[in-house]
Amino acid sequence: MVKRRKRGRKKTRRKVAKRRSSRSLWVRIVVLLAVLLAGYVVYLDYQVRHQFTGKRWSLPARVYARPLELYAGLELSAEQFVTELKALQYRPVVSPRESGQFSRNKNEFHLLSRSFDFWDGQEAPANVRLRFSGGKLARLTDGRSGQSLSLLRLDPVLVGSFYPAHNEDRVLLQLDEVPVSLTDALIVIEDRDFFSHHGISPLAVARALFANIRAGGVVQGGSTLTQQLVKNFFLSSERTLTRKINEAIMSLLLEWHYNKDEILEAYLNEVYLGQDGNRAIHGFGLASYFYFERPLAELSIDQTALLVAMVKGPSYYNPRRHPERATARRNLVLDVMADLGLITSGESARAKASKPGVSAYQRKAINTFPAFLELVRRQLQRDYRDEDITSDGLSIFTTLNPQVQWQLERVLGARLDKLERDRGLEAKTLEGAAVVTSVQGGEVLALAGGRDPNFAGFNRALDAHRQVGSLLKPAVYLTALEQPKRYTLATLLDDSPLTFTARNGVVWQPGNYDKVNHGNVPLYRALAHSYNISTARLGLDLGIESIIKTLRRLGVEQHLNPYPSLVLGAVEMSPLQVTHIYQTFAGGGFRTPLRAINAVLASDKSPLQRYQLNVQSAIEPAPNYLINSAMRFVAREGTGRSIYQSIPASQDVAGKTGTTDDLRDSWFAGFTGDRLGVVWIGRDDNKSTGLTGSTGALRVWRDLFVQFNNTGWVQPAVEGVEYLWIDPKSGSLADAGCQDAVQLPFITGSGPVRQAACVKQKKALPDPVDWFKELFQ
Amino acid sequence: MKLTSVCRVITAVAVLVFIHGCSSAPSQQQPTPVVEQGKPLFAPRPPVSYQAPGYEPPPGTTSVVTAAGYPPAVGALLRQAEQQANAGDLESAAASLERAIRIDPRNPVLWHHLATLRLSQGEPLQAEQLASKSNSLAPGNHAQQSRNWLLIAQARRQLNNTAGAAAAERRARELGAR
Repeated sequence: MVKRRKRGRKKTRRKVAKRRSSRSLWVRIVVLLAVLLAGYVVYLDYQVRHQFTGKRWSLPARVYARPLELYAGLELSAEQFVTELKALQYRPVVSPRESGQFSRNKNEFHLLSRSFDFWDGQEAPANVRLRFSGGKLARLTDGRSGQSLSLLRLDPVLVGSFYPAHNEDRVLLQLDEVPVSLTDALIVIEDRDFFSHHGISPLAVARALFANIRAGGVVQGGSTLTQQLVKNFFLSSERTLTRKINEAIMSLLLEWHYNKDEILEAYLNEVYLGQDGNRAIHGFGLASYFYFERPLAELSIDQTALLVAMVKGPSYYNPRRHPERATARRNLVLDVMADLGLITSGESARAKASKPGVSAYQRKAINTFPAFLELVRRQLQRDYRDEDITSDGLSIFTTLNPQVQWQLERVLGARLDKLERDRGLEAKTLEGAAVVTSVQGGEVLALAGGRDPNFAGFNRALDAHRQVGSLLKPAVYLTALEQPKRYTLATLLDDSPLTFTARNGVVWQPGNYDKVNHGNVPLYRALAHSYNISTARLGLDLGIESIIKTLRRLGVEQHLNPYPSLVLGAVEMSPLQVTHIYQTFAGGGFRTPLRAINAVLASDKSPLQRYQLNVQSAIEPAPNYLINSAMRFVAREGTGRSIYQSIPASQDVAGKTGTTDDLRDSWFAGFTGDRLGVVWIGRDDNKSTGLTGSTGALRVWRDLFVQFNNTGWVQPAVEGVEYLWIDPKSGSLADAGCQDAVQLPFITGSGPVRQAACVKQKKALPDPVDWFKELFQ
Repeated sequence: MKLTSVCRVITAVAVLVFIHGCSSAPSQQQPTPVVEQGKPLFAPRPPVSYQAPGYEPPPGTTSVVTAAGYPPAVGALLRQAEQQANAGDLESAAASLERAIRIDPRNPVLWHHLATLRLSQGEPLQAEQLASKSNSLAPGNHAQQSRNWLLIAQARRQLNNTAGAAAAERRARELGAR
């Protein structure tokens, strides 16, 4: 290129020298104009190079759900699998031949998966057979050899995008990702001399002119692909002479600087191919999804031809609105392709016979799970600027589990409807929010910001700060249990009336929800039944400051007033903040920062950032074990016992209900060995809902968790804990033979020494089968 | 001056523009193309270090991987993590281990491996935390706990906590002897 430029200059100099003798005014004017033009060309040249080389399309960030990892033993029903495949736009066929297809015969599937670029590399496409049985993936085998496969990671469901303000959308493709049939067809239809011209094609123009004159109107364009690209890239769509001049100059310049492949690739990504509301569909990559719901590589020849046909006028040839026009032009494209030998006449005939296979137009909400996406966006905003998020084509791999999310959306809406119906409440007055996480990894699996899952506005899971009530009690009890010399689960607490006068003279008289005083109650039972008075007394004994310290360790960052009412939950938190607290309990005392994002890839699929799994020891495993045990009593015999109306008794659940004054807020936070769920129900106007934690939020939780196969214990055995039989009335040591005796865990050596009266009788009763016992085995 | 060539370009362009003006495509309703200002390329935060060398598969890795009792998926991911780590791609190895943990979240061996990786990546604080997590998931498994304490000792040594490291080594020895 540099050489070419030099040669040109030499030639010019020689010729200019010849003419120097005959200087006239005319020449001066021309020279002046030429200088101006040259300057202008230089300016355009700068623009072309600067913008083309540095061209970064405004690519929205794409947000993906967690990829489905398939392996034998995975808890997933055949129906759930089909839902996931549908969301992934895999197509059911009789016999799968290409990636993105599957066949089903009852519980047996044959699947050809797609390849996908993950943070840790590309997942290759696979040919697999799957068999489901009993709500699980029973077998995963290679589709050809029949050998069993250990693991397959599917491509992840696209759950949304973060768009820049002008709503331009694109699926960026590299030239080698574009089927040759498409580029061939495009070139023969739009610009036959593409590989030989220098940006503008006089031949094409002449041909167009001839055709137009013959037809007596405009039937053919003479624009090269380069000109079309320049027009889209750099210029407005106005049809003025200046613009045409610019277009021609810039086309020549573009061709001068860049090779045909680069120009073609840019064209394929830039060409405008339709409109989806206020979202402009640019490039063949996105158009393929928009019209056919599948990647470009999976298109049939008639579909490819249809896309090429639409280049001429995506609105005029819109196959959804004008199927006849679109089909006619598609057939024209197919004819040309057959004439030039790109396809056989048989292929052309078959393709022409097919209907334009466009998918039904769905005015889909651009983002499927707006509430979860809001959480993702906030997490991203900590690390990226807004324009990076909306324009840099990031791939964001989130922790969202669509199966759990769909279930959550379904149960929340249905339960709120039912609560309103059953209680004669005005319809649609109750609102709800929920967060579901994985216990050990702290990954947010699902999130509901309100009862309408498609509403992208006020996100109650993140932004509704409501009184938490008794949800805070476990922090009080934990503070006590961390002092095993003073408190154990068997310690008797005083639940008789309490009047507390603060130093400033303010009198505080907490009361129990059931308006009953329960006398002396063992500590675990006071929590299980959520007694306020004994809790208040315990909190005052421990000191409000020490409870605040515990809350800090549990990850509470907000300002907390050291008022006595804090122990009964007079503090406002969002469901997400509550989730943080319970995450630590559920995680065996290890605080795991909640994550909605696993990794971020740049637009070229290179790894940009990973959000690592980190843990921080916050509570010693043994006291954490004790508080979790107390929260299991909540579920077994306390305020949460209605859980077991639907959850099988064999499943282990720990949790806590929360109810606030005048029944304004109904909370439940509960976890199993695998998942943690926090649910809130209330009204946006903060009026009474008439619901307690157990009659409201707990039911949503139960409806959701009954669908999971909750295996494993809330917290498996830890070291330094022993089980003892206790007489709950006296808090003394009992044995298996004592009436009403319970087995409670103690930090080794901290159990009561005094024996209950019943022990001396030494009845030889067989051990009752106790669900606790299995724990130790 | 490149007078002639400029003149030629003007003429050619004018002619082309004139003809072209009569012959452009019909009804191409193009929204105003957005001309991106040449804004600087997205400046990524440096990815978590890839180059930390010296990863040694923790003692017993091979036998653990091939040992029965793991779900095959977890075994496959462990092998993959090991390969990635040996190839120096520690962060990918960590990602693979996290996948394994997602499948088998209470497996203390997986947490131990993750701790080992973090130590190789120069994150002794996180290594110690992860090793403690592994311990909490391995009650009664003295061999596993001993390995974790050895790792904690190394982590503390990296942090110049000599006394803490010695204490951890003592714990490891005691547990190893049991």
